[in-house]
Amino acid sequence: MLESMMIAVENVSLTRGNFSLSRVSFVVPEDSYTVLMGPSGAGKTLLLETIAGFYPVSEGTVTIADKDITLQPPEKRGIGFVYQDYSLFPHLTVVENVSFSLKMTGIPSDERTEKVHALLDQFGILTLAGRYPGTLSGGEKQRVALARALAMNPVALLLDEPFAALDPDTRSSCMEEVKFIQKEQGLTVLQVSHTREEAYLLADQVVIIDRGMILQTGPPSEVFSRPAHPTVASLAGFENVLEGTAGAVEKGKTHLVIGKGIITADHAFPEGNRYLVCIRATDITLTQPGIPRNDSETSLDMLVISCTTIDQGFLLQIDGPFPLTVMIPRRQSRSTGYHPGEQVTARIASEDVHLIPLSRKNTGGGPWS
Amino acid sequence: MIPAESSMRKRRHDTGNSLIAFWVPGMTLVGVVVLALLVITLPVLGDPERLAAAAADPVVLHAFLVTFLAGFCAVGILALFGTPLAYALSRTNAPWKGVVETLVDIPLVLPHTVAGLMVYLLFMSRGPIGAPLGEIGLTFEDAFPGIVVAMVFVSIPYYVNATREGFTRVPVQLENVARTLGASRIRAFWAVTLPLTTRHILYGGLLAWGRAIGEFAAVIMIAYFPLVISALIYYRFTSGGIAESQAIAFLLILLCLVLFYVFRVLTRHAGVYDDRG
Repeated sequence: MLESMMIAVENVSLTRGNFSLSRVSFVVPEDSYTVLMGPSGAGKTLLLETIAGFYPVSEGTVTIADKDITLQPPEKRGIGFVYQDYSLFPHLTVVENVSFSLKMTGIPSDERTEKVHALLDQFGILTLAGRYPGTLSGGEKQRVALARALAMNPVALLLDEPFAALDPDTRSSCMEEVKFIQKEQGLTVLQVSHTREEAYLLADQVVIIDRGMILQTGPPSEVFSRPAHPTVASLAGFENVLEGTAGAVEKGKTHLVIGKGIITADHAFPEGNRYLVCIRATDITLTQPGIPRNDSETSLDMLVISCTTIDQGFLLQIDGPFPLTVMIPRRQSRSTGYHPGEQVTARIASEDVHLIPLSRKNTGGGPWS
Repeated sequence: MIPAESSMRKRRHDTGNSLIAFWVPGMTLVGVVVLALLVITLPVLGDPERLAAAAADPVVLHAFLVTFLAGFCAVGILALFGTPLAYALSRTNAPWKGVVETLVDIPLVLPHTVAGLMVYLLFMSRGPIGAPLGEIGLTFEDAFPGIVVAMVFVSIPYYVNATREGFTRVPVQLENVARTLGASRIRAFWAVTLPLTTRHILYGGLLAWGRAIGEFAAVIMIAYFPLVISALIYYRFTSGGIAESQAIAFLLILLCLVLFYVFRVLTRHAGVYDDRG
């Protein structure tokens, strides 16, 4: 059975100043949680604001629950919106903020009071009812903003980095709460985020955008393990992105020539084709030179350039046929770390090497260009 | 005080954070204002009979009434027409915005006699605005409405610029959110933007009122009568000498100081919300 679509953005284009959204298309299934990711300045907030109706599109359509709302003003769309700074009305108390939409739509005072108090209770902010936003903490503001957006029973909720301004502890608890509410109420949520952590925890689907264009869409595990574009690879945490050429295929594995070195990847790829070779820093292991390798891994003699101690272990820059970034977890590393100039062997399993076909359209920008 | 304590206190005041380098030149200006007030005030205070006579003079009282009332009318008109203009200017980036802003600022740079001439030519009985309005009985030459339009004209930039600054400070995101919550653009303006701009609107109104009641040249060119206070002071200065005009000037300064002070006290908390407990 086909999933019903709550938000459908089809070939939407618009220009604001010197930035453009270019033929953007994607769908947000009903009752799902979609996370919109992309580098800074990718157009995430602009896309959210366009769906909310703040800017007219120059072409394309926006559909909510099969109804074309492209030409409707924001107040007629029934979409809730929460900005990163929550944008609470500073001259109104918490209860006045939450009841704002009910007042605008002419709900009688008694009914309004009843509904707002139930919402404040649900969000655990009943005690804040008479307070002004300027006196609330970040977590409290976020709850008020969510309660305010939900008071109008929105058909969909758009969240613009709602957890970015919170401290780490508050952020995790707020994410859990939001996910719980989304599941419980069967809400359709489209959220902008910068972090994979949020996407893994919250999203049923991630949509990757850069320079006003959608690059990839899918479940987070699929998008982050199989990026189809260099920008996605970067967002997915592939610290090493190198340009290589497919060489000989042997036992179903391809040897890729990168500079003066060779890396082996799973599967057979057409010889002579060019690829971006993506490897996570955590997928590279270091051994002493001279330990024999097995057929499914690449072994490279490298020199340690630098070693930095981080929370998780050591972050190394090593160089050989080409430079690599390596992260050695604390439990696998020597207590003394590594010394610049030290000879090491880098080992990379063929299954950890991800290839992106190199075409003209995905060579622009990023650290690989 | 023991010497060590004295030395520590001295050091505490000598951390390079002193504003003395700013206060000295700045207070020179304040000093000039204080001196100007003293040269008006001291002779008047030394002659209380003349001051009492001026305060009881029906011509003086009428001039005060006309001036203050016309000032309030001018601010009312500015609020009605200037507030929408200030909001529109704060929310547009159109290329012609600069042209409108320049036009708004024109009364700032013109000599007041030129402003008066422009107002006269527009609102005289044969003027492009004065003629049609004259047909419905609204005359401006030597009439109260003439004083009001002259005051409005010279005060436009003071009101519009201060109010526009206030609107610019209200994040557009607040209006966006209000609209997703069911408010039309107009309702979002009334419910969110306007209350958050109260302080700037009041300040703009005060500036415009102060500018309006002080106007002389532009007012007398279209309406010498009924006499506004600035015209009366000039008339008494030329006909009765310094002492005659000094007493009225003193009364004007006193009234303005009291009004401005009361206004500032009353509006101290207007538009300030984030620090409430």
